[in-house]
Amino acid sequence: MTAGREQEVGHRVDAEQLEFGGGLEVLLAASLERVAPGGVLEVRTPSRAVALEAPGWARVAGHELIGEATEGKAHILQIRRGTSARTLAGPLPERGEPPALRGGELHTGDWRGGRPPPDPDPGAGFAPLHAVPEAGAPSYHWRLSRRDAVWADDVGELVEQASAQQWDASRDVPWEAARGLDATTERAVAQVMTFLAQNEYAALYVPARFLGQMNPQLVELVLWLGSHVHDEARHIEVFTKRSLVGGEHGYALASTELSLHTLLDEHDFTASSLLLNVLGEGTFLDLLRFIELHAPDAATAAAARLAHRDERRHVHFGISNIHRATRLDPDLTPSLVAAAEARAAKLVSLSGLSPLLVEALTIMAAPSLGPAELAEAAAHVRDLMARMERNRIRRLRACGFDAATARHLSDLHTPNLM
Amino acid sequence: MSGGELRLGAVSYHPRVVTIWERFRTYFADAGVPTDYVLFSNYERLVDAVLEGTVDIGWNTNTAYVVLDHRAGGGTRILGMRDVDRDWATVLVMRKGQSLEKPAELEGRVLALGSRDSGHAAILPLHYLAEQGLDAQERCRLVRFDTDLGKHGDTGDSELHVVRAVAAGEADAGAISDAYFSAFRAEGVPEVADLEVVWRSPPYYHCNFTVLDSLDPEVSERWSRALLAMDFEDPSLRPAMELEAVRRWYPGDRDGYASLTAAMREQAMLT
Repeated sequence: MTAGREQEVGHRVDAEQLEFGGGLEVLLAASLERVAPGGVLEVRTPSRAVALEAPGWARVAGHELIGEATEGKAHILQIRRGTSARTLAGPLPERGEPPALRGGELHTGDWRGGRPPPDPDPGAGFAPLHAVPEAGAPSYHWRLSRRDAVWADDVGELVEQASAQQWDASRDVPWEAARGLDATTERAVAQVMTFLAQNEYAALYVPARFLGQMNPQLVELVLWLGSHVHDEARHIEVFTKRSLVGGEHGYALASTELSLHTLLDEHDFTASSLLLNVLGEGTFLDLLRFIELHAPDAATAAAARLAHRDERRHVHFGISNIHRATRLDPDLTPSLVAAAEARAAKLVSLSGLSPLLVEALTIMAAPSLGPAELAEAAAHVRDLMARMERNRIRRLRACGFDAATARHLSDLHTPNLM
Repeated sequence: MSGGELRLGAVSYHPRVVTIWERFRTYFADAGVPTDYVLFSNYERLVDAVLEGTVDIGWNTNTAYVVLDHRAGGGTRILGMRDVDRDWATVLVMRKGQSLEKPAELEGRVLALGSRDSGHAAILPLHYLAEQGLDAQERCRLVRFDTDLGKHGDTGDSELHVVRAVAAGEADAGAISDAYFSAFRAEGVPEVADLEVVWRSPPYYHCNFTVLDSLDPEVSERWSRALLAMDFEDPSLRPAMELEAVRRWYPGDRDGYASLTAAMREQAMLT
């Protein structure tokens, strides 16, 4: 240490009463940022203890105390800023334009200001949007890293809706209303609910698997898949609760399991969008609407209505995702058709929706087992099947498939509905 | 040397020593001076190993270096040291408001010291206080925390005891290294908040890499060059360098060890 003050000082700061351990380190770090590496900061302090502690602090922090003098009772310390970068990254960008607000709300669709880059680093880590990642972090290898293979232009808005439309399967369903149905009706409801819950497991496991493969730089998709998984968890919950609340039991059918097993066999993101979101969940939209309309009790109706609201988002994402992907890459259509054909080939043993399910839906929709009422309910179920097919083709057309391809894909769809 | 590979001895004062030297071992191999490391539980064994030729390079504390150099009859060379090893200092800390003008005012009071084999927390404080006119061994009541003997204060454990004793009022003042005091502050050791530095020693050097003069100078120079070329901006090196608390390696010299050598002579530690 010298008493010299000949060094050119880049910045001066008066620490006043600040002490080490009481905020002085923060002031010093911020002040040193204002001089170039190798430059000199001059600090004035009235404290002898601070002056005595400063050399050790500077050395340990990678700087150097190069001068010390007194002026009256004040100590004047000169600290040369170290040349090591504190973080292995370039300087932070200049403060930029903040994202736009909509009536005071900051929407996920607006936070990025455009789409993500087309090819984010597949080794990138969990650096939040617009953060500057430090070098030296461990590397990942994300399987889903190419934007155009997974993106949907309205995914930000869908994430927004998913957050806004959360609900509670314990409190938002009038469970008391499900008590007291006759045994036959209750057993039919329990069978339908068991079927729904069983299918919702697959609807959870498919996006959950993709979530773990998604490059975090495509954060909107991470949030989207997270919401999808959460939605399906609640659907499993609500339909299981409805199956339990009347004390009855349903069968978890092997034919359903076979269909779902083939859904999990599909490892391609866009093909899964087609098979799960558009075809499976799309078909479930009609089924859930039917259950809501024909439910024998308000609890069943509420469960179906709440799940329907979520499934609409999932279907919307699927259509948007496939429409974009096939528009950007017309060669994708044959491979999507091939995926549907491959799945159908594994399901040749399934010839139609399980009779157990058809009967349960019919009984559920019939006020009693009287012949006239059963006939009317059976007609409703037939209408449902026809509506499912019509709407499936409509959704496939919205994906951008031509009429023949849409018809073909619809015909290939599993008789299990999902 | 064994088959062209240098053997470096270090003391395992913490499990991180393995992490550090696994990385540095790869670094030296890539730099064309293959160097394996051998860990010892204490610096006395390490000094023996350097003298016996079991290892070529000792990564020594200042105390170990002074002993090694003494036992080698001055026949050692220093190959490098960390940036933080230069201008190391011992500080006296007291509870806030208990400040003193000069160390001699500690006469008759209680002084806490770290491990007796620690240059910075025991040996040099007594030496510097004597220079300041205070024979602390005779005129103060000493409270010694002889923890982790053999590690020469590397673990910081005895210094933590010193800080706690002073904060609790069990000692009026305590001697510790400025580097550990800053580290305790940065870690948020609660007792440190109540303390302040009341005196600071002249600077001295701390750790260094030492070899015997018998090691081929061309080899040791190549090793030094590789050491000094280690780049803190290299993401693959930074974690190990941070664990070693070094941002940049410097060539060493003997000048910074004069005070410790004198202190150890005074305290009959060089026989």
